[in-house]
Amino acid sequence: MNLIVCLKPVPEPGTVKVDPETHTLKRASSELIINPPDRFALEMAVELKERYGGKVTALMMGPPNAVPLLKEAYALGADELVLLSDRAFAGSDTLATSYALAKAIQKLSPFDLVLMGKASIDGETAQVGPETGAWLGIPSITQVKTLVRGENDAWVARRIFEDFEEEVEFSPPAVITVEPETNDPRPPSLKRLLAVRNLEPQVLSARQVDCDPTKTGLSGSPTQVLDVFTPTYEGKREVLSGEPEEVVEKLVSILRERGLI
Amino acid sequence: MGGFWIYGEWGENGFHPVVYELISVARRLAPKLAEKVTVVVLGTDDLREAARELFRYGVEKVLLFIHPELSYFRDDLYAEILAAAIKERDPSVFLFGATAEGQALAPRVAGLLGLGLTAHCIAFEVDDEARLIQIRPSFGENVMAKIVSKTRPQMATVRPGVFPKAEPQASGEGEPEEIRLSEVPKSVLRRRAVYPVPRKESPLSEAKVVVAGGRGLLTKENFEKLHELAKLLSGAVGATRPVCHLGWISEEHMIGVSGETVAPRLYIGFGISGALQHTVGMEGSEVVVAVNTDPEATLMQRADIAVVGDATRILPLLIRRIREIKEGRDGAS
Repeated sequence: MNLIVCLKPVPEPGTVKVDPETHTLKRASSELIINPPDRFALEMAVELKERYGGKVTALMMGPPNAVPLLKEAYALGADELVLLSDRAFAGSDTLATSYALAKAIQKLSPFDLVLMGKASIDGETAQVGPETGAWLGIPSITQVKTLVRGENDAWVARRIFEDFEEEVEFSPPAVITVEPETNDPRPPSLKRLLAVRNLEPQVLSARQVDCDPTKTGLSGSPTQVLDVFTPTYEGKREVLSGEPEEVVEKLVSILRERGLI
Repeated sequence: MGGFWIYGEWGENGFHPVVYELISVARRLAPKLAEKVTVVVLGTDDLREAARELFRYGVEKVLLFIHPELSYFRDDLYAEILAAAIKERDPSVFLFGATAEGQALAPRVAGLLGLGLTAHCIAFEVDDEARLIQIRPSFGENVMAKIVSKTRPQMATVRPGVFPKAEPQASGEGEPEEIRLSEVPKSVLRRRAVYPVPRKESPLSEAKVVVAGGRGLLTKENFEKLHELAKLLSGAVGATRPVCHLGWISEEHMIGVSGETVAPRLYIGFGISGALQHTVGMEGSEVVVAVNTDPEATLMQRADIAVVGDATRILPLLIRRIREIKEGRDGAS
C-alpha cells in the first residue's frame, strides 16, 4: 500500500514570546516547523503502514531549508522523502498549492491514500485537501478520526461533522484530511534519526512534475490580496492604572455601576 | 442568469443556522451587485416545504436540485452537481458557511472549476468595480486581509456566528425552482452509519460572562484561578490557542478562529495580547475588560476598560474582592 502524507512547513507560532525569566517580550526566530495538525496525518499513515504493510512517502512543498523537517518526518516513521520546491510556487494561494501538490502526487503514482492535516495553523483554510482531491479526480474525505480497511477493497472512514459522526465507505484512492488530536503521534525513533543523517530527500521542481506555469505561484492564484490592515478601535476606553489593589477597586466599582457583576 | 448564490446546507433540523446569516449578508450586498439573493439546495422531495419557507427571509430565488441520491451529503457528488450548476447559470458570487460540510464542499467545487476561494470571511464590501471584497484575518501576520477573486463566481466561506441572522418578514412568498435531475454522477462514498454526537453545549458560546486567559498568566497554576472567578461570576472560562497548546486547559475552551465564538455581556481577558486568531472569536462581547502590563497590546486597545497591570497579581485580587462582595462582606452591596 502506498500512502502519501502532505506536510506543510509553517513558521513557529508566536513571533513574540514572553521570556519566563524576565517577563519581557522577546522575538522568536522564525524557524520552520511541521504544521502541527499534519503530525496526526503522519501518525495515521504510519499506523496504517504498520497494520496493513506498504510505505509512507512524506511530501512537502516548501523552500530548500525545509529539508530538516522532512528528515524529522523520517524519524517519525515516513519511508520516502520528497521536497516539492520551486521559486515558481512562491505566492501560491490554496488553489495553486493544491494544483502543485496534485501534480507531484500524480508523479508519485500509484498511490492508495493521500493524507493531510485538517488545516494549517498559519493559513487556517482547510481548503487544500478537498481542492487536491478535486484536481486528482478522486474523493476527498475531511475531518477523519479513524480509518480501517473493510471488506474487499473498501475502506471505512469515521469523520466528524458538527453534531454527528459519519461512517463512510469508499474505495481508494482518496484524499483524507485528519482531525487533530485523534491519535497520539509517536516520538522520533533514535534508530531512524541516525539513519536519516545519510539520507537526502528527492527534490522535485515545477517542471519535473509537469506543472502548467500559468497555474502556479502568484500569477496562477485566482485570489489576490488587495490590501492588509490592522483593525483600529476608536471606541472610548477607560484606562485604569496604578497599584494592583487600587485598579481592582476601580474596576470592581465600574463593573458594579454598570450592573455587570 | 447570474445571481448572488448561497449554499443551503440542511440537516435533520432544517436549514443550518448559518444559512440565515448568509441570507442577511446576501440581502445587504446583492443589490449593490444587481444580483438576486439565491439559495441553492441539494436534496430530495422532502425539502420542498422548507425551501419554500426561505422566501419569508427575503430570498428572491431558490434553486432546489432533487434526486434520491442527494438524500445525504456526499462531497464528490454534491460538488459535481454544484459545478455543473455554476457552469450553466454563471452566478456572480457563491458563499458557503464555514461549517464542516461547507468546508468540505466549497474547496472541492473550487478545485473542480479552478476558482478562487477565500476561507472564513468575517466581513465583505463591494468596491467601485462591483468586485466583492472578502475580508478575513491573516493569522500569520496578525492583520486583516482584503481579498478579491479573479475568477467567477467569487467564492468564499463565511465564519458562522459572525453575521446577524436574517429575520422573517411580514410578506415574502415564492416558489422554488425545482430541478429534477434524471441522473447524477456516481459517488464513491457510501454512508454506512451516523452517530449523533450531542452537540456539547459549550458553556462558552452561551455564557453571559467570559473570563479568559492568555500566556501573560505565565503558569498553569495562575491560569487555573480563572475557574474560581468564573464560578463567582456565574460565567465560563475561555482561553487563547497557545494556552490550550501548553496544556493549561482543554481545547473546548479555546476562543477564536479554530475555537468558539463568544458574545457575552462581560468579557475579561487576562494576559491576552489580542491576536486576531483570538479576537475574531470575541468581537461580539458587549463590554470588554483587558488586563495587561502592556497598554499598547491589541486587546488593550480594543477594550472598553483597559487595566494596566500584571494579570498574575490582578486576578487573585479581583477574585478576593468579588468574593467579599458576593458574601455580603461589603457595606455597599
